[in-house]
Amino acid sequence: MKKRKFRLKRRQPGRSRGGDLGVYIILTLFGVMFAIPLVMAICQAFKPLDELYKFPQTILVYNPTLNNFKDLFVIMGQSWVPFSRYIFNTVFITAIGTAGRLLIASMGAYVLAKYDFPGGRKLFAMITTAIMFNGYVTDIPRYLVISGFGWIDTFLAPIVPALAAPMGLFLMKQFMEGIPDSLLEAAKIDGAKEWGIFTKIVMPNVKPAWLTLIIFAVQELWNNPQSTYIYSEELKTLPYALSQITAGGVARAGAGAAVGLFMMIVPIGIFIFSESNILETMASSGIKE
Amino acid sequence: MARKRKPRNLRRRNAITGYLFIAPFIVGFLLFLLKPMFESFRMSLSEVTIAAASQKGGKGFVMETITTWKESNYYQAFFFDPQYKTQLVDALKEMAIQVPAIIVFSFFIALLLNQEFKGRGFVRAVFFLPVILSSGVIVGLEYNNALMSSMKGAIEEAGSGMNITATLETVLRTTGLGGKLLDPVFKIIEAVYDVALASGIQIIIFISALQTVSPSMYEAAKIEGCTAWESFWKITFPLVSSMILVNLVYTTIDFLMRTDNQVMTTITHKVTPEMEYGLSAAMAWSYFAIVAVVLGVLAAIISKKVYYYE
Repeated sequence: MKKRKFRLKRRQPGRSRGGDLGVYIILTLFGVMFAIPLVMAICQAFKPLDELYKFPQTILVYNPTLNNFKDLFVIMGQSWVPFSRYIFNTVFITAIGTAGRLLIASMGAYVLAKYDFPGGRKLFAMITTAIMFNGYVTDIPRYLVISGFGWIDTFLAPIVPALAAPMGLFLMKQFMEGIPDSLLEAAKIDGAKEWGIFTKIVMPNVKPAWLTLIIFAVQELWNNPQSTYIYSEELKTLPYALSQITAGGVARAGAGAAVGLFMMIVPIGIFIFSESNILETMASSGIKE
Repeated sequence: MARKRKPRNLRRRNAITGYLFIAPFIVGFLLFLLKPMFESFRMSLSEVTIAAASQKGGKGFVMETITTWKESNYYQAFFFDPQYKTQLVDALKEMAIQVPAIIVFSFFIALLLNQEFKGRGFVRAVFFLPVILSSGVIVGLEYNNALMSSMKGAIEEAGSGMNITATLETVLRTTGLGGKLLDPVFKIIEAVYDVALASGIQIIIFISALQTVSPSMYEAAKIEGCTAWESFWKITFPLVSSMILVNLVYTTIDFLMRTDNQVMTTITHKVTPEMEYGLSAAMAWSYFAIVAVVLGVLAAIISKKVYYYE
């Protein structure tokens, strides 16, 4: 641990300094490539209108202005339903949907990975096959199912179907396969119940998988306007409200660019938060001994 | 007797726990995935009309299918459609090049990002950005905003503006190494930006997998005189191999289900403006069958090589 404080000391004795340099060069090259779109999206939000429509488009902003945000807030203030309502709706759907999916997918994955029960393998095969199906075509029958439950225009419509995600289960199962059986047996001998093993041993040990699953779910729910299922104004989501703003054409272009930045902040924030809290804390607790 | 009964009881207990834990998922799976899938299969064999449910006092819409089992004309209609066939073949060809490229690339980047260096969190976030940018807001807003699409064009221009590809291609061609053999290589280089942008999730999955490998294993290997190269192939690779399978499945599906995929565009187009529900369902089912076969073969090969920790 102490060694790390000496920056000049090479961390990996097996590699030459040239190798270190190479790694940095590769990462910088790709990093720049990846960062260009983000830099542009950020700059876009601060560009005055004439710069937004300049051709060819520039990546950087030359005369930064906050007018786009002012416009956006003015438009937000004019909306029929208080704007905080849209934010609450989206946060609510995203939070419940993500947490629920994490729990349900993990529970299913745990028994599929670690219990031998009749039909388990067939079930898993069926679930993985279903991932491959074209979602667009099932949209209409799914709508009819939801409509049959009378869930249209309630929060149940976007949340409940999002809970059972085959991709999440598949991912979780693959991670849980990596937990040594001996660890679970030890817990069982010490008197742990199934639920205890699941919450206290399995879940903490697959924390890195949480990150991936959370990202999948947040991406899907946060950006989804849900306009298929919800039509009451007070239940509408943030992406829907914002897309209404950007639909205003040229006059709203500035506000539209600000909207883009606004929508990106949350997924990026969640990534950075979970990266530092979930991934980094796992760094020295590898289970595959 | 007592000994004989014990395993049966354990089996039964396992079964009960198993079903209890998986029940919530199964319910959701049956209702919102399997049922719609089979509905759509029925649609592919039927004539479909959609009617407002308000006539019957409900909310939303109901679907009325008139089953016409006698001839599966939807399937015939497009299977002999030459355009659909070429689209399909093109998509599969491109997949064969891009998917391995994405997996190798993301594995490589994940290995780099798994090492200790200053600002690692920041660099990881940068590599994750394309996920947010490509699947998120910008794509969603694109329809409403000409600005965003012009921005996307500018980004692509900036990405290829360095012209590494063109230079490399001329160099290789003039040395006489060109020809058919190198075409896939050029395609990969040309698509490097695409590959890089499509690798966000795969990088995260690989980093997550690398995190579960204990550092003490590498220490032990080093003490035994293992070189870094050896410990990569003997420790890292086997322990992460199950995630290669995950990434393979994810990447293939992501690639074949992408909205800019020609086949997908055709199918989606049939749903929304053309309202050809039956035909689109038939197309989706045949596409599904092809994807399932491709993926099934790939997964069967790879999963033989996957090492599961005992």
